Amino acid sequence: MKKKKIGVYICHCGGNISDYVDVEKVRQAVEGEDIVFLAKTTMFACSDANQREMVNDIEANGLTSVVVASCSPKLHLLTFRNVTQRANLNKYTYVHANIREQASWAHSDNKIGATEKAIHLVKAAIAKANYAEALETNKVKALKSVAVIGAGVAGMKAAISLSNKECEVVLIEKEPFVGGRVSQWDSLSTTTETGKEIVNRLYNDLITRENITICTNSEVISNKGSVGNFTLKIKKTPRYISTSFHPEDLKKAIEVCPVEVPDEFNFRLTPRKAIYKNYPGEYPQTPVIDLKNCTRCGACEKVCPAVNFSEEEDIIEISVGSVLMATGFDPYTPAYGEFGYATSENVITLPQFKRLIDEQSDTLVYKGKAIQNIAYIYCVGSRQAKGDNTYCSRNCCTSTIHAALTAKNKFPDINNFHFNRGLRTYGKQEILYADSLRSGDIYLQSYEDGLPTVTIEGKKTIVKINDILTNGKEIEVEADLVVLVTGMVPRADNKVGTLFKLPKGRDKFYNEIHMKLRPVETVIDGVTIAGACQGPKNIAESVNSALSAATKSYSIISKGELESEPLVATIDPDRCTWCGACEAACPFDAIMKSEKEGKIIAAINNAVCKGCGMCAPVCEPDAINVTACSSTEIMSMIDALV
Amino acid sequence: MGEINRMSAKILVFSTEKISDPAIDMAGLMKLHYPPTVYTISIPCSSGIKPSWILHAFEKGFDGVFIAADGSDCVYGETCTEKTGALVGKTHELMKSNNIDPARLRMAAICSVCSEPFVKQIRSFNEYLLKTLHA
Amino acid sequence: MKDSLKSSSYDALVIGAGIAGGEAALNLANTGYKVLLVDKELSVGGKMIMLSKVFPTLDCAACITTPKVSEISRHPNITIFTGSEVSNIRKISDNEFVAKVTRKPRYVHVEDCTACQLCEKACPTSVRDQYQFGLIGRKAAFIPFSICSPKAAAIDIDNCTLCGACERVCPTHCIDFTMETETNELHVKTIVVATGFNLFDPNNIPRYGYGKYKNVITAMQMEREIAPTRPFHTILRPGDGKVPDKIAYVLCVGSRDATVGNPICSQICCMYSIKQAQLLMGALPMADVTIYYINIRSFGKGFEEFYQQAKGMGVNFVKGKIGRISEKENGNLILRYEDINKGKLQEAEHDMVILSTGVLPTKGIDGLFENETLTLDQFSFVGQSDMLASPAKTSIGGVFVAGAATGPMDIPDSILSAGAASSEAISYIIQHA
Ligand SMILES: Cc1cc2nc3c(=O)[nH]c(=O)nc-3n(C[C@H](O)[C@H](O)[C@H](O)COP(=O)(O)OP(=O)(O)OC[C@H]3O[C@@H](n4cnc5c(N)ncnc54)[C@H](O)[C@@H]3O)c2cc1C
Ligand SMILES: Cc1cc2nc3c(=O)[nH]c(=O)nc-3n(C[C@H](O)[C@H](O)[C@H](O)COP(=O)(O)OP(=O)(O)OC[C@H]3O[C@@H](n4cnc5c(N)ncnc54)[C@H](O)[C@@H]3O)c2cc1C
Ligand code: SF4
Ligand code: SF4
Ligand code: SF4
Ligand code: SF4
Repeated sequence: MKKKKIGVYICHCGGNISDYVDVEKVRQAVEGEDIVFLAKTTMFACSDANQREMVNDIEANGLTSVVVASCSPKLHLLTFRNVTQRANLNKYTYVHANIREQASWAHSDNKIGATEKAIHLVKAAIAKANYAEALETNKVKALKSVAVIGAGVAGMKAAISLSNKECEVVLIEKEPFVGGRVSQWDSLSTTTETGKEIVNRLYNDLITRENITICTNSEVISNKGSVGNFTLKIKKTPRYISTSFHPEDLKKAIEVCPVEVPDEFNFRLTPRKAIYKNYPGEYPQTPVIDLKNCTRCGACEKVCPAVNFSEEEDIIEISVGSVLMATGFDPYTPAYGEFGYATSENVITLPQFKRLIDEQSDTLVYKGKAIQNIAYIYCVGSRQAKGDNTYCSRNCCTSTIHAALTAKNKFPDINNFHFNRGLRTYGKQEILYADSLRSGDIYLQSYEDGLPTVTIEGKKTIVKINDILTNGKEIEVEADLVVLVTGMVPRADNKVGTLFKLPKGRDKFYNEIHMKLRPVETVIDGVTIAGACQGPKNIAESVNSALSAATKSYSIISKGELESEPLVATIDPDRCTWCGACEAACPFDAIMKSEKEGKIIAAINNAVCKGCGMCAPVCEPDAINVTACSSTEIMSMIDALV
Repeated sequence: MGEINRMSAKILVFSTEKISDPAIDMAGLMKLHYPPTVYTISIPCSSGIKPSWILHAFEKGFDGVFIAADGSDCVYGETCTEKTGALVGKTHELMKSNNIDPARLRMAAICSVCSEPFVKQIRSFNEYLLKTLHA
Repeated sequence: MKDSLKSSSYDALVIGAGIAGGEAALNLANTGYKVLLVDKELSVGGKMIMLSKVFPTLDCAACITTPKVSEISRHPNITIFTGSEVSNIRKISDNEFVAKVTRKPRYVHVEDCTACQLCEKACPTSVRDQYQFGLIGRKAAFIPFSICSPKAAAIDIDNCTLCGACERVCPTHCIDFTMETETNELHVKTIVVATGFNLFDPNNIPRYGYGKYKNVITAMQMEREIAPTRPFHTILRPGDGKVPDKIAYVLCVGSRDATVGNPICSQICCMYSIKQAQLLMGALPMADVTIYYINIRSFGKGFEEFYQQAKGMGVNFVKGKIGRISEKENGNLILRYEDINKGKLQEAEHDMVILSTGVLPTKGIDGLFENETLTLDQFSFVGQSDMLASPAKTSIGGVFVAGAATGPMDIPDSILSAGAASSEAISYIIQHA
């Protein structure tokens, strides 16, 4: 092995590191090492000026390897690999040391300890750099197609955007109809268009496109492969109604169906039949038979020839280059008895209230009773001081004020009482709050330690609060209807997230890699996230994230080729005795029996191997090492760390 | 301050690039302090750790080795848990036959947001090691 | 001075090189399109490059912007014009716009400048430093700020006395007083407007005493005081250089206030104030920090937790409206406010007051379009013609909008909005090829 000439750069990070780690001391501690050619400190290693200096240093001195000690490699490993590449040095000769998150910040209580740790970490990186070799990346073919999972606004917009970029799209929706939550809303804030109209507009655009395949009533049931080429199996549940139906016959079929189940579309306020459609203009236009609840009585079949129980479940397989996840959210379901939910019949949730006011005209009636006083209790299931949901659901303040105003315009007799925890009508939505105050709505506020209470006294439902806006005075309102402002929670059914192994954040929504640097990417290469499945968002925010994710998915595959990391397992043919243990351990079927110079040994398929290393510890004769993570490298790092 | 350093055990942490590294980084970001003699080596997956590495660390003078395992979040598949468990079992055997207290190797599943559990685990491990090795 | 006219063509013109414009330019460039990125300032990076750390993750703004900035400035598909303004745009057809861009002379040849700062030392003229928001001074020959890009000196010709001192000391002879304004005629297929926002000028609320009382500063000035690239080495109050220990934040300054013509909420100031309070508690462990607020708007991912964290650290939150601020002889400030919880008027003394000023639109962008109308919304932000279903679309086909140019927005939202604008721009180019 030729002797290495290593350049080491130790970053101040403008004080983030140097306030706790004595960077000059670190520099001095490593500069004397035999293979270290130069060691420098820098204010910002990632700055343009320092990057230029690194390029100059590498070229002028013929450095063979570079170590930067700075922040987490999550932020800048790629930045510095690119620097070495610009200086014509193979990027795999670069080694990173994390002395910010794992030294200066973690040990900001102990400057000496932090400095000593930093010295060891840099020495370990140098030890690793001593063995770092030039590697060539593998080229993988990338299919120019994307699977978009979920056809809410986010998924539909992402599909349109990808189609515009001449990408093949498969849009997969679990429900029989498209549109997600937005199809459940009529009036929306900041626009005169209804939710249904927006969904219809998007759907009409979608179906004109030849490069989009829409699969409704469909679910992804398996996933194989990786970025560039994912193979997905999709289970399509039939509608049991042929598309060439006669509307009158179908209307009759729905009438005669004897089964009634709670209608999820109306948040269980009303029942629906086993053969159904959520609303008249809904897309796709063919209704559906919900076989789980259907008793196969055959009543519908008798009045409508389009009903066809012989349709069968279909499993199709598709291959795509990238996957865009847009599975949205669930409204929070209050616990039994939470603010009278399920224990008082006058208590409903905000989504139910929205359905209620959209369905009714003239007077507002609930359970046969005319409604006058409405109490809205905010932040139910969000900003919990005790529960798991510590986050704010972002939209519910605005949605509630908007719903309350809509109700008041429609039913002028009602009185709105808002039991809130500090209004969050951020940005231009503030105008709505001002409108609401002007219309005479009453606002009462508390903090997390003095939440309002709901008590049931006979037929009366009383909401009480110690209102901080009036000096903590106890105020009570006898409400005809209590609306619980339920926030957004992740979809209860997370099978698809598990399938793709998507990580979740503190709030249990899917998590991005980095909110500012890589906001729509996940740690799973090739899988992007969009819309409310990443966290609460309104429609415009969901669409922004959907278009960002579409651009990201597109840019991953648009060149038709991807570079994959050359970090794979290697077999030492002298040691290998072909026992087959590695073959059994590999989760990707990357190992096969093969023959080399007359000897039967294991062979690695580099295109399939992911470099996880699961095969290495099971190998009795220790014949397997993973590139850049070999026993030599790890042990030399251990030596440097002690 | 030197006092503080002698108060902490030398622990080698094997952590995984995609799952537990972010948690350990976040522990730093949140300034959840733990002993500065805890060093992390990043690897792709906890099921790829060779028992020989762990033995090497003890031989060279580490007081303890902690595996921040992927658990069920592993990006390489659900067999990770079982395989990591197997290699830990094997290493425990090897440690026993080398007269090393098997409790000096610990494993816990650390997911990408487990910063606090990580720090708790490390602190309690540190206490155990100090008590048994440096008392 | 004579104008020289240069003509060239690009796929996209991005106006404004803040985080939104930068992100949009990168997305376009990474997809293979040629982009011209124009900013009126001497450096790219917009407001974000001046910030300290950024909520809610508290990563250092410089650590996030500098690599982006360096990626932008190195990208083979991106051309950057700093110190430049678009003066006129004409739409010729669905896939052609002609834009006139004026490049003001910098009087320094950027390629040759090594940023050695000798000119700064030699220059005898001192003026207020706009990049440090007036906290300190700078010379007429100056490097805008330490992490600016391009990293090169510039001559502020309005204040320069033409003494020639800088020219004489410059080792690379890159100072050139004969440079002239250059007008470029550009042909582009699509345009992204990312001109960001202006900050409310607190001089418009005289009862807060900004400009009169030295220890009343704006949050942007405080950002500079706590940034890693800060002008002083510690946090001090401008009046007497004392380290403050009783600090107050006044929220909603120039926002949610119809009397100053801005009824909307600026949506970032609650969070940036909480962030600064946390950073101050870290930097000055003995200091008391109080935030006077109307409502705390911690609505985004991780924001509410960030707010709770600040409370846990001991930041005081007082629900109250500040009536007026007056100054004591020792430079301390008396805040008169209505304490909403107690329901009465109160007074409190602080030794430094930070005004969390709101977000206003940048003016004039609609005036650039010659034969088309760029519609603004009722608050003079760039109007969104299909706000819910296509938030990046404007009233002009082929012109898209990103970031705070559409209304108040934090960094994560600006980046997503830039992603949407670039996505629409890419689709537009492909569809109108
Ligand atoms: C009460 C209320 C009122 C609101 N009012 C407004 C308003 O006035 N203005 C506004 O801008 N926003 C409003 N919103 C917010 C708006 O509903 C969301 O921004 C929007 O629905 C988010 O869209 P999405 O596509 O991300 O998710 P969703 O609408 O939830 O769509 C996700 C889609 O994915 C599908 N899906 C889920 N899992 C799978 C799977 N495994 N496989 C396939 N498909 C799957 C779902 O069936 C669904 O169709 C309101 C929200 C609530 C709760
Ligand atoms: C004190 C303060 C603290 C903040 N802290 C945070 C934080 O911690 N976290 C967070 O998420 N957000 C924070 N923000 C918000 C953040 O600054 C904005 O979200 C972000 O800067 C918006 O980016 P932008 O690119 O849209 O606009 P800008 O940053 O305003 O950039 C616009 C660019 O366009 C240029 N420009 C304008 N007009 C023209 C023209 N006619 N021709 C050419 N160029 C033009 C400008 O020079 C500027 O470079 C903070 C804001 C302030 C004021
Ligand atoms: S948006 Fe409003 S109602 Fe919803 S959780 Fe946040 S503060 Fe509560
Ligand atoms: S490293 Fe992982 S993917 Fe590669 S051969 Fe070994 S077990 Fe299989
Ligand atoms: S202009 Fe000349 S003197 Fe000034 S910084 Fe640049 S190289 Fe140095
Ligand atoms: S974000 Fe907070 S400080 Fe800013 S205007 Fe809105 S409520 Fe006021």
